[in-house]
Amino acid sequence: MSRTDWRDHDWQLIHIGAQPPTLHMALDDVLTGEVGAGRRKPTLRIWEWASSAVVIGRFQSLRNEVDTEAAQRHQIEVVRRISGGGAMFIEPGNTITYSIYAPQSLITDMSFRAAYAFMDEWVLTALEELGIKAWYQPLNDITSAGGKIAGAAQVHRAGAVLHHVTMAYDIDAAKMVDVLRIGREKLSDKGTLSAAKRVDPLRSQTGLPRAAVIECMIATFRRLHGLHNDFLRPQEVADARALATSKFSTAAWTGDVP
Amino acid sequence: MHGEYKMPGGKLVVIDLDVHAGQLANVQLSGDFFLEPDSALIAINAALEGRPADLTRSALTEVISAALTAETKMYGISPDAVAVAVERALGREHEA
Repeated sequence: MSRTDWRDHDWQLIHIGAQPPTLHMALDDVLTGEVGAGRRKPTLRIWEWASSAVVIGRFQSLRNEVDTEAAQRHQIEVVRRISGGGAMFIEPGNTITYSIYAPQSLITDMSFRAAYAFMDEWVLTALEELGIKAWYQPLNDITSAGGKIAGAAQVHRAGAVLHHVTMAYDIDAAKMVDVLRIGREKLSDKGTLSAAKRVDPLRSQTGLPRAAVIECMIATFRRLHGLHNDFLRPQEVADARALATSKFSTAAWTGDVP
Repeated sequence: MHGEYKMPGGKLVVIDLDVHAGQLANVQLSGDFFLEPDSALIAINAALEGRPADLTRSALTEVISAALTAETKMYGISPDAVAVAVERALGREHEA
């Protein structure tokens, strides 16, 4: 399979109202399948959150990563996503999350390391336009002088690649470390985290509201790669709702790695 | 028993296990690594289950490698990193 370029595809944008956490998990599953099957054009989806959540990686241990009692106390739902990587702490408005659903051909013959950086080149450009000098830090982070900005994760499945990223806009770090058990080994990487009151690299370095940062990102993607406004098909919504109920809301899936 | 290993240039690799009659039991691999297909996680757990708890690191690495198919893709994790996490769960000193 020969490699395609961004401009070989007719990119679609989905940026709709806030959705519950389990529906976000399900939409990633469904839309990756739709693009892989050729029923949907390659798509950028910007997430809006209806409620708070801890989103753990596909292979993370629920009990090792999450203080379930603290999560309940803060009314934070715990969900497991389909991609690997680390836990995300989400409160509506505290992060910017997006998914790219692309044909596998976009990253043909690329190493994992190259593919992660390639999928986020447009974001580094957007950040530069916002006045942030950011760079890719392998394996899967975007970082800046003001600290880590984002973490990415990919899934490769049946002709499609899902690349999704969560960026820290303005995170309540005290609440985050109350809910997430950040392991001893992990702290050696992120020793500054527990001392900080807020993790807000995007807010503090742009001085812009979250919505303005998102608008800049969309404009940058549109200029570099082309982008048409789109919506979810009724069948996609129905499939995602069914999957949110049958899979992503279940204790069996969330506790799949106990 | 619990062992963690941050693979150099990789991700966190975690093993939880018990030892019953000198054999590894209830082996559970976890972490923030990337592994495809995701069923490889179960294959690695199953490959380690029941193995003698005194297997060397290189023997553990072989057991794990043998459980993977040609299609398995690992990013931020390796058979050797899993073996080190097993050794740490068993309380063995790890010599890098």
